[in-house]
Amino acid sequence: MHRRFTPLAAIAAVAALALSACTAGTESAAPLTGRQASQKAAQPQTVELWHGFSADSEVKAFEDAVAAFKTKFPHITVKLTKGVQDDQIIQAIRGGNPPDIASSFTTDNVAQFCKTGMFQDLMPSIQADKVDLNVLPAVVRSYTEYEGKRCVMPLLADAYGLYLNTKLMDGNPAPKTLTELADLAKKLTKRKPNGDIEVAGFLPSVQYYENTPSHLGPMVGGKWYNADGTSAIGSDPAWKQLLKWQKELVDWFGHDKIEKFRKGLGQEWSDDNPFHKGKVAMALDGEWRNAMIKNSGIDLDYTTAPLPVADDKPGLYGSGFVAGTIIGIPKGAKHPEAAWQLIRYLTTETDGLVTLSNALRNVPTTSAALQSPQLAKDANFQTFLDIFSHPKTNTLPAHINSVFNQDTFTTFIQKWEQGKVKDLDAGLAEVDKAINDKLKLAGG
Amino acid sequence: MSLTITPPAQNSRRPAPPTPRGMRARRTLHWIAVHSLAIALAIMFVGPLVFVALTALMTDSQALTSTLWPESWNWGNFAEVLERSPLLLWLGNTLMYAGLATVFMLLSSIPVAYALSKFRFRGRNLAFFLVISAMMLPPQVVAVPIYLLWARAELTGTLWPLIIPMLLGDAYSIFLLRQFLMTIPREYTEAARVDGCSDFTTLIRVVLPMARPAIAAVALFQFFYCWNDYYGPLLYASTEEANWTLSIGLASFRALHSVQWNLTMAATLLVIAPVLIVFFLAQRVFIEGVTLTGVKG
Amino acid sequence: MAVLSSPAPPSRRRREGLRALLWLSPWLAGIVLFFGYPLVATVYFSFHRYDLFTLEFIGLENYRYFFRDQRAHTAIGNTLWLVVFMVPAQVLFALGTAQLLTKLKRGAGFFRTVFYLPSLVPLVAGTVSFVFLMNPSSGPVNQFLAFLGIDAPDWFGDPSWSKPGLTMLALWGIGNTMVIFLAALLDVPKHLYEAAAIDGAKAWRQFRSITLPMISPVLMFSAVTGVIYALQYFTQAMVASRVAAGVTDSPGTSFVPGYPGESTLTLPQWLFHQGFRDFTMGYASVLALVLFAASLALTLLLLRQFRAFTDTER
Repeated sequence: MHRRFTPLAAIAAVAALALSACTAGTESAAPLTGRQASQKAAQPQTVELWHGFSADSEVKAFEDAVAAFKTKFPHITVKLTKGVQDDQIIQAIRGGNPPDIASSFTTDNVAQFCKTGMFQDLMPSIQADKVDLNVLPAVVRSYTEYEGKRCVMPLLADAYGLYLNTKLMDGNPAPKTLTELADLAKKLTKRKPNGDIEVAGFLPSVQYYENTPSHLGPMVGGKWYNADGTSAIGSDPAWKQLLKWQKELVDWFGHDKIEKFRKGLGQEWSDDNPFHKGKVAMALDGEWRNAMIKNSGIDLDYTTAPLPVADDKPGLYGSGFVAGTIIGIPKGAKHPEAAWQLIRYLTTETDGLVTLSNALRNVPTTSAALQSPQLAKDANFQTFLDIFSHPKTNTLPAHINSVFNQDTFTTFIQKWEQGKVKDLDAGLAEVDKAINDKLKLAGG
Repeated sequence: MSLTITPPAQNSRRPAPPTPRGMRARRTLHWIAVHSLAIALAIMFVGPLVFVALTALMTDSQALTSTLWPESWNWGNFAEVLERSPLLLWLGNTLMYAGLATVFMLLSSIPVAYALSKFRFRGRNLAFFLVISAMMLPPQVVAVPIYLLWARAELTGTLWPLIIPMLLGDAYSIFLLRQFLMTIPREYTEAARVDGCSDFTTLIRVVLPMARPAIAAVALFQFFYCWNDYYGPLLYASTEEANWTLSIGLASFRALHSVQWNLTMAATLLVIAPVLIVFFLAQRVFIEGVTLTGVKG
Repeated sequence: MAVLSSPAPPSRRRREGLRALLWLSPWLAGIVLFFGYPLVATVYFSFHRYDLFTLEFIGLENYRYFFRDQRAHTAIGNTLWLVVFMVPAQVLFALGTAQLLTKLKRGAGFFRTVFYLPSLVPLVAGTVSFVFLMNPSSGPVNQFLAFLGIDAPDWFGDPSWSKPGLTMLALWGIGNTMVIFLAALLDVPKHLYEAAAIDGAKAWRQFRSITLPMISPVLMFSAVTGVIYALQYFTQAMVASRVAAGVTDSPGTSFVPGYPGESTLTLPQWLFHQGFRDFTMGYASVLALVLFAASLALTLLLLRQFRAFTDTER
């Protein structure tokens, strides 16, 4: 644990409560300099690392990777805390009691991390250690920096594609366009006598697990932001195309039927995931699902494919959404040099990356690791490696209010699905306005 | 259709007093109605706890079904909860938070209530006004600057920001204690002063013994307030799982440690149980204390 | 004795003032540090952009944003819903149960204990339990309703039923108010009822012309404190939405309160989210001042009730 109750210290601190409270950050902890890394890091020390993995197999894989680090750097002990979410990381840094290393599943907050200095600039260390950033694919580099500031490193990447249950697909090929997807979704859906859904071909609801706007957007090439950071959602016709397609399919199912079905489904990260259980024939999901299906020990015959794309944009087929796990050193870390050693090891050493990738079935983020013969590949996983390296594949552009913006959009889509939006253009204009107002408030 | 006009009853013009028999029958009916309503309400009040307990004893798969009675009694669920989550650690933190806060509150609030009720001075009404204002102020209103104070003191991530302020008095407790102390006739404290007691000895010898029920009630309320508190620990300690309280742990239990309802309910039951046990041990203090809070305005 | 009852001489009164000050000083320090300073600082921050790292004066920008912030409006609407529906429901239900308890000839103590019991259940535990009990697939509540032939809603998963669901939870934990009302009802002198009964007043008339006036101060006090608690309503809504949304709460993503939809988003939650999740502390300060204005108005209302109290002395 990071800070235990120490009554004396606490009472002393009260006495020290200064009158002005304008800067909450701690200045005591050393920033990362990149110099004297070796001598300082050589003393025995313990670094604290927070990560987001929570499934038992993932936690173990990560622990193993860290254990391999320990054999190379025996003087550094690593204390791992699992299942940490961004909320906790942000609050800990803002409150001035961060871990030495924090890792996040989402790239949503990278802009905030880098812009405000919540995570330390890694460039001095990268240059001091002569790490070549060109080993990272461009899309990966883009989501780990903001306005030229590199404050996090990519740990592993996630690519999103379509999972297809072979038995439920009943010999149909993977859909390549939105029209094919909708037709097939209807064809493969099985209903109970009272109209309730028994098996869904494809669930179009944005509330269904990975069906977030950011993951769905690449199917139509939806654009999020203008160059100045204002919203482009209302002005890009691609989103309207996606939403109209989606609403048509939702209405075919019946919104209430979808909700009822969705509420009865198992938890996404458990073995009760509806794709595992054969309750959905096609599902948008990340490459990690391969590992989860394997680890759950069920006998499921399935294939994977890129996401279908808009009928009028066949050139997008094969691309998809990419993001990944990031890792960095928070402002106020107690052992930044040792932390950097660990980050460098985890994010650039080919062996470590390949081992981790093989265990988690995530996409490794360096070219060397991608080409490593040790990287376990099968057809289902290869799909995601291909999506990952497709030239049109993109990520959600970094934005200081990324979470707010996505949430605003998602909330709007939920209302749209429910049929509560009469005028789509006006509704999207309001989404734009909410995003732009918030941008102004944040001084972006 | 035959029209049978019932002749008006003989006693219709001048209602006779109901016979003792009729009265008893009506009373019995009333008795039955009132008691069945009470029983129905009792079931509604206790039902949820019963279902929580039953679900806590089911297997994972049964908890997802619609059957209400456990097919097998899985007492091991409680052990599994303790194994999966650091419930005992959270219990320790909660006890420490609630215990220290209560002791600190008593040490700081009794003197204030004593001064407010037994001293005559200018600004007394103003002071009481401050007590009520502080009591009524939603904690969220002043949360931002206070959070910054604690961040500056590097105490965010712990429960200390919730405990230490108790050394400086708690408005709600001061209010309740003051209301009670006002009912102690001034003659008692005046007499003690005439006998040469200082303010302090008057408080210890005269006021405290008389205020014992109020103090017990206020202490209980404070303890339970802390035991229940979710907002405070969420604000200050949510980043450090090692410093969580039961409230935070339980609220995150389903997302973090188990998606199974049976285990979640077992954890819930483990959090509820201590409170109910204390209640049955100190029921009188509770009811009297609550009555005290309903002070007529 | 004559000495005691005469008004205190001015010098003695001043000395008593000093003694009082001595006794009150730690608390006064607390008032300054945790009440006075934060209020002033909140006003100050409300004119600034502040994220704990940088502080920048932006004039009325935060206030302007308040008028554009749809979620803040939704949150205020939800908080008002609680004031308008939940609080009266609580008061009426508590009064009803208390009244029932006074009518019981047998087992009044037992029933009082049973009715009171749920109010002891820790808020978080009670909320988690209710989300389970009222879940649509395996919860007993909906099964019971289905047994009666009622197509039950998906309480905490349906935007139009989540607040009624929270109201049920509030009614369940009515114990404290009920005990207060019970004490007040028992305080009403019996002879008043007897006199009314002789005059032929029926139960309802007795209640209206005797009970209600006699307990109205207590009723008023409960209603106003009920409203003030409704303004602070946080824990139950936050926990219910978290637990109910648990299924879709994937790791890594931030949790925005209010699930389902924004139906359980209350003003304090939005303030908390703005201040301590988004760290737009300047804007959170504006929300805090809105909350402050509302509770201040109610406090003044309450103080009028107390005016008699502050001046009299027994």
